[in-house]
Amino acid sequence: MRRWALLVVLVALLGPACGGGGGTTTSTGGCTGKVAGGPVTVKAWFHSGQGSERTTITSQVAAFNASQNDVKVELVLLPEGNYNDQVKAAAASGGLPDILDFDGPFLYNYAWNRNLVALDSCISPALKANLLASIVKQGTYAAHFYGVGTFDSGLGLYTRKSVLAKNGIRIPSGPQDAWTADEFNQALKTLQGAGFNKPLDLKINYGQGEWYTYGFSPIIQSAGADLIDRHNYQSANGVLNSSAAVQSLTAFQSWFKQGFVNFNVDDTAFLKGQSAISWVGHWVFADYRKAFGDDLVILPLPNFGKGSKTGMGSWQWGITSKTKSVDAAWAFINYLLKDQQVLQMTGANGAVPATKSASAASTQFAPGGPENIFVQQLESSAVPRPQTPAYPTITLSFQKAINDVLNGGDVKAALDKAVKDIDTDIKDNDGYPVKT
Amino acid sequence: MRVGQDSVVPWLFSLPAILMLLAFLVTPFVLAVIFSFTNLRLLSPIPLRFVGLQNYVRVFQDPIFYRALGNNLLFVVIVVPVQTALALALAVLVNQKLRGVRAFRTIYFAPVVTVMAVAATVWRLLYDPDAGFINGLLGAVSGGAVHPNWLRSTGTAFLAIIIMSIWQGVGFQMVILLAGLQDIPHDHYEAAIVDGASAWQQFRFVTIPQLRNQLLFVVTITTILAFRLFDQVYVMTSGGPLDSTQTMMLMLVDVGFGRQRIAQGSAIAVIFFLIVLSISVAQRRLIREEAT
Repeated sequence: MRRWALLVVLVALLGPACGGGGGTTTSTGGCTGKVAGGPVTVKAWFHSGQGSERTTITSQVAAFNASQNDVKVELVLLPEGNYNDQVKAAAASGGLPDILDFDGPFLYNYAWNRNLVALDSCISPALKANLLASIVKQGTYAAHFYGVGTFDSGLGLYTRKSVLAKNGIRIPSGPQDAWTADEFNQALKTLQGAGFNKPLDLKINYGQGEWYTYGFSPIIQSAGADLIDRHNYQSANGVLNSSAAVQSLTAFQSWFKQGFVNFNVDDTAFLKGQSAISWVGHWVFADYRKAFGDDLVILPLPNFGKGSKTGMGSWQWGITSKTKSVDAAWAFINYLLKDQQVLQMTGANGAVPATKSASAASTQFAPGGPENIFVQQLESSAVPRPQTPAYPTITLSFQKAINDVLNGGDVKAALDKAVKDIDTDIKDNDGYPVKT
Repeated sequence: MRVGQDSVVPWLFSLPAILMLLAFLVTPFVLAVIFSFTNLRLLSPIPLRFVGLQNYVRVFQDPIFYRALGNNLLFVVIVVPVQTALALALAVLVNQKLRGVRAFRTIYFAPVVTVMAVAATVWRLLYDPDAGFINGLLGAVSGGAVHPNWLRSTGTAFLAIIIMSIWQGVGFQMVILLAGLQDIPHDHYEAAIVDGASAWQQFRFVTIPQLRNQLLFVVTITTILAFRLFDQVYVMTSGGPLDSTQTMMLMLVDVGFGRQRIAQGSAIAVIFFLIVLSISVAQRRLIREEAT
């Protein structure tokens, strides 16, 4: 008898460990307008990127929790390097938090998988009208609004006015008169001759990841190619491996072959003055500005034939279908979109404020301000990353192609391989049908 | 009654282990075999359906698969003998009765207790062609004549990973062999000396045969670990440049998790399992033949 009792104890001990998972209550409804049932605790995940962003979000959560008694937000910071993978794993095992921040273009896949709640009934018309067009555009999938960023991104060539002037290199005034690809190549050659042994910093040290797509897909878009045919998002063939794409990436590859590119192992190539041009996003602005002051200038990416293009889209907030209370979760996101909060975050990370009113209140982004080019670009030359649930595969395939190209691989072969991967994935998913 | 008790008790004691093995090894593997014949994805509202051998066909048509398999085999063929020989040499060295030998044992063992991801990150900096320590040293010694591109060149990237892996792993084998060395009775050596054996003959005919079991263990473990090659490659090259450092594990994670194709990832896992299993069985066969 006693032995059987022992067995029962053992099974009882092991049971919960083996079970796992469980509990699949999902919210499908939107907001009701008020938080019901006393204080609600909601969990929020945030990518732990730069130190300044981290401290800002932490203080914003504290301020929000102190400002009212209905909702308490518990913040979880996760490393940025494999944040998307962690979200995928959590979604697969049913472990998503209430509020999720995610890299913009992944929204379509999450929404398609029904991991996100539509926010149409949550966001007020006034707030929606106040958001930058790029933010609304990227938060929308299949006619529903699923995610909202408190800032948008900017991408450009950071350089020093004094260095360009000394070497007789033209300083473009905006996206419309960006350097041509040939001009850019010539400028790099000149700078190399002027003592910058490796004049170009492409942030290769970020490694193969979303940066490769965000930072380098504008090259092929500027040449007239794209990551996928955006008419129906069913194939990349003839677009991603078009001759325009091959030619522009061959130019990209030649920068490596000519020895222009600094591999920047310790992330300080530009700050230490080893490189004269740094091809990177808004997030370095504060550091670069501190180092070079007014001498720092941000220029548009080179024009490969069809005008200078740039990336857009940044981290967004969404509410997952696992949430206990959409209203409680929305209360927090709504708080983050107040001008003061938006400006606090963009002041910390140098990004473009997501609301028009906040943007107007900031001197940095006003005409003549050092970061005004990012606003100009969002209005004219920014291209959103493909708005399709196939995005995770598109970006992985393109990253791989870029990595092969910068290591000297055959450009056409690398792009053909990416096209094959993307098209197979779309076919495997029956073309990612939109379900209502 | 006694018979009944005798048969229950051993089962009861092994029950926790059996349950754990069933839950965490057998069940997942059986599921992987089943999944490999479906279109299962990590996250997808698309209904599950059987697709026959499609996943296997795709794996075998993928040139990266052969690259990865080739690299894994190359890694085993180089690392197993070199690392075992080095470990033996180090074990013999630190088995000397010298002042301060403990410090050396600790130093050689330190890489083993370092987290692989941390070690790999540090080595990535060491391998940097322009700013790294290794090329600095090579440059100083050769007067700038030797300047490999290490992780950035298809010719040297995998070699760089092999060197780093041996550095990281050799200490573990050294400790096992050292324990074996200290177990060898001293009279064996005395008898050998009386018979007029030279130092080399003592090593060859006393040390090596006495270490047989430890050496076999080390070779088996190193082979299995070599097939699981992942961490350092993931951190240092992610399989590049141009797939020159691809491995089976890397491919499995990329396909199954990155691209969310759990079904195709399962197919790779099954193929991987069969390969490692057949090598282990072959190894055991060889060893048994020697023993008789």
